[in-house]
Amino acid sequence: MALTITCPICGPRNGYEFRYGGEEKGPRPEENNLTPEAWCDYVHLNECVAGVQQEWWFHRDGCGAWFTIFRDTTTNLQTEQPEASQ
Amino acid sequence: MNALQRISPVGLSGTPLKTEARDHWQVVLEYQDEGQGPYLVDLSHRNRLDLQSSDLASKKPFGMTVPDIPGRSLMDKGILANRMNRTQVSLYHLDGERPDLPAEPEYTDVTEATLFIALIGAPVFSICEKLTALDFMAPDRQPPFLYQGPFAHVPCQMVTLNRDAAQAGLVLTCSRGYGRDMIHAIMGAGEEFGLRPAGESRFTQWFQSL
Repeated sequence: MALTITCPICGPRNGYEFRYGGEEKGPRPEENNLTPEAWCDYVHLNECVAGVQQEWWFHRDGCGAWFTIFRDTTTNLQTEQPEASQ
Repeated sequence: MNALQRISPVGLSGTPLKTEARDHWQVVLEYQDEGQGPYLVDLSHRNRLDLQSSDLASKKPFGMTVPDIPGRSLMDKGILANRMNRTQVSLYHLDGERPDLPAEPEYTDVTEATLFIALIGAPVFSICEKLTALDFMAPDRQPPFLYQGPFAHVPCQMVTLNRDAAQAGLVLTCSRGYGRDMIHAIMGAGEEFGLRPAGESRFTQWFQSL
């Protein structure tokens, strides 16, 4: 499925130039008193929303920047903000 | 003891007319029957550096200021500096005597890890158009400017130096492992425009006329 992603440095580019970096999950959990179960949940559990989600992308074939975008997973289109499709 | 030899990743089909040994590279200065252009020139022997720092604004590679916005390039005394992203700048030595390379650890010499070619002549952007979706004629960009993206499906850095029809030209660099196939793709795309291999003298002459 075609996907155009807007890199903050290079502008709109073909999705094949990028590597997916996973959902945005917020800051890394504090390591003090971090249980293996909590760490496992942070690493492996995803929301997998049907709708707009914030996610990380890496411009692999371009400038090498990591950045986040909002994408509607039901249309595979980038949106300006989380509530864009609502 | 065997002599050190540096081998360019670019193999061109032309017959060299004048060559010169330089810093263990065999540099072709002129090919037989270079034609009237456009030209493909192998510059892989020219020094290239990557500069990486979280404080690029304070860096003065070869005494020059680095571009402040990613995608912009600056030229000074034969050195081209290209801002890649927040923390990286690529530096190409295009003209003049080989400069003393900086000794600081934030500089990485990538000369022997990459290929480096120039495409010069009026129809070069028509040739590029066959190999990449990037728009070299975008009106919001003023030469020299850097593009980072796929060219013949290979991740490349491309710096447009001039877009005027009579003096159009750009330089391109990518990993040296793609050398043979990149040249094959570019020469194939340029065949209908009369693209021919040319020696370094042709590039120097063109560069100094800019």
